[in-house]
Amino acid sequence: MAGQTIPLEYYQLVAALLFTIGVVGVLVRRSALVIFMSIELMLNAVNLSLVAFSRLHAQMDGQIIVFFVMSVAAAEVAVGLAILVAIFRNRETASVDEVHLLKG
Amino acid sequence: MIEAFLFAMFGAGAIAFALGMVFRRNPVHCALHLVGVLLSVSGMFVLLNAQFIAAIQILVYAGAIMVLFLFVVMLLNVRGETPLLTPGAAKGFGFFFALIGFVELLWVVLSRGGDEAVPERLPALPSGFGSPAEIGRVLYSTWLFPFEVTSILLLIAVVGAVVLAKRKFF
Repeated sequence: MAGQTIPLEYYQLVAALLFTIGVVGVLVRRSALVIFMSIELMLNAVNLSLVAFSRLHAQMDGQIIVFFVMSVAAAEVAVGLAILVAIFRNRETASVDEVHLLKG
Repeated sequence: MIEAFLFAMFGAGAIAFALGMVFRRNPVHCALHLVGVLLSVSGMFVLLNAQFIAAIQILVYAGAIMVLFLFVVMLLNVRGETPLLTPGAAKGFGFFFALIGFVELLWVVLSRGGDEAVPERLPALPSGFGSPAEIGRVLYSTWLFPFEVTSILLLIAVVGAVVLAKRKFF
């Protein structure tokens, strides 16, 4: 893996595409579970972008930030899925279109 | 040559799996497609000399987080939604705004970040770049304080998840 022959723009393009697909998933899907997965997808796209920039500058800091993004993602998934389970126990649905009341 | 082949494989795989994840009906299929995306992205991490991050990606994301997702899918026993996408004008707006965002991202990537000069030749990597030893050195020196804050964040997340799961809503 000594010589880097792929231009880093290609990695950024893949990251941009993955991010956009994640945005589409959040905006058009109805299942809260799939919306969570789309958020994970967007976080991963940003991670890919960060690692590519870390390679571009030959500095490790981008990879460290990926570390923190992963831990935030883990925390977010734990809390988010707990909320989802609570909503499902209450309303028997996981569709965001049917959970539109702020008051209980 | 082999690097170009691997990049094409992982990149196309990541995008195809991502599309499958968004447009599949069954949540279990969506989760498995997301695993495919995560594995492809970790392959690209290896191509970018981030071996340790790639290993963590597989262990933490494709291992732990995806098991959590699948566990909740099984627990909730959700059926696939009958209209897959949100109905009406919201769908059109969703695609439209996503397209606008993509065009912006594309513009930023192709303009190479504005006027800041990006080196044509990639710099040579210092020895040990992306290795666990080097990650640990940077993490526990420059990034020590954020690292400690992360532990508090995880503690709060654990407490919050337990509280939410145990609480009786009415």
